Amino acid sequence: MSQTPDELGQKIKEARDKQSPKPAAASTQSGGGKALRAATDLAAALVVGVVLGYWIDRWLGTKPFGIILFLFLGFAAGFLNLYRAQTGQNDKNKG
Amino acid sequence: MQSPLEQFVIKPIFPLHLGQYDISFTQSSLWMVVAVVLTTLLMTLSVRGRALVPGRWQNIAEMLYEVVFGLTREYLHEEGRKYFPFVFSLFMIVLMGNLLGLIPYSFTYTSHIIVTGALALFVFGMATLVGIWKHKLHFFSLFLPSGLPMLMIPLIIPIEIISYLSRPLSLSVRLCANMMMGHTMLKLIAAFCASLVFLSVGLKLVGIIPFVVNTALMGLELLIAFIQAYVFAILTCIYLRDAIELH
Repeated sequence: MSQTPDELGQKIKEARDKQSPKPAAASTQSGGGKALRAATDLAAALVVGVVLGYWIDRWLGTKPFGIILFLFLGFAAGFLNLYRAQTGQNDKNKG
Repeated sequence: MQSPLEQFVIKPIFPLHLGQYDISFTQSSLWMVVAVVLTTLLMTLSVRGRALVPGRWQNIAEMLYEVVFGLTREYLHEEGRKYFPFVFSLFMIVLMGNLLGLIPYSFTYTSHIIVTGALALFVFGMATLVGIWKHKLHFFSLFLPSGLPMLMIPLIIPIEIISYLSRPLSLSVRLCANMMMGHTMLKLIAAFCASLVFLSVGLKLVGIIPFVVNTALMGLELLIAFIQAYVFAILTCIYLRDAIELH
């Protein structure tokens, strides 16, 4: 019986999928760990927003409007981070 | 009494200067070298026997391997094979840093933002480069969620970019803060215990309470050392996946 490499590859893939079901979604993170992750996610986006705003102000001379605008954008991005971490959009494979 | 933050001071072992830069071999470097050597020894010596029924050390090595292999497989699927060495190296250097730091008189290099920041920027740069290399300019559609009304575009794009840029910061601060917090707490409670036992006259026996708390805390720190290395590896996988698949 002869097989093309493609067929063989397909077979190996099927066998492998059958043999190792996806590892169970790891839930090693404790509540405190999650809280800390949320805090850093939120704060990091805020800091990035403020720093970007500050740079834009220095660059374009728009002080203080850049920093105000980007503070709010950073805040929004922080919540986007939170939302992604919580809804599992980051881990969509875990279904 | 010593400050609980004194443990984080970097002390040079061999002072070395290159031009105006201080590139001394510090105790931080020393522990990084120890981590690399230990990891290499663990991964090579322990599997030398290639026993079908693994011994103790081989078991540890295989367990670590399987944890990371499972991660890359879960998040990156078949593509994960290519990135396994990258993720595994990161996982091991973080894990070793966290664990070796728990040995008394050692130094926790992962408690320094400069170290975790460099690692996180490395991950960030790698993910971005992989994305650009794989998708060329199409990579930047990462910042544009599909099905967005035209009106929202100027608002959402900066938000997505800030969110993307905040990843390395969040990744590095999380690891560094966890390590620093844990070690400061251990030191603080240990100092409290010592001062009760050695300094006070009437409260010697009360000193047993912080001692017990610290023992429990040490176990918790051991767990956190693993979890943080694991989280670092997971997030590396997620960032790589975002770059590869462009959600």
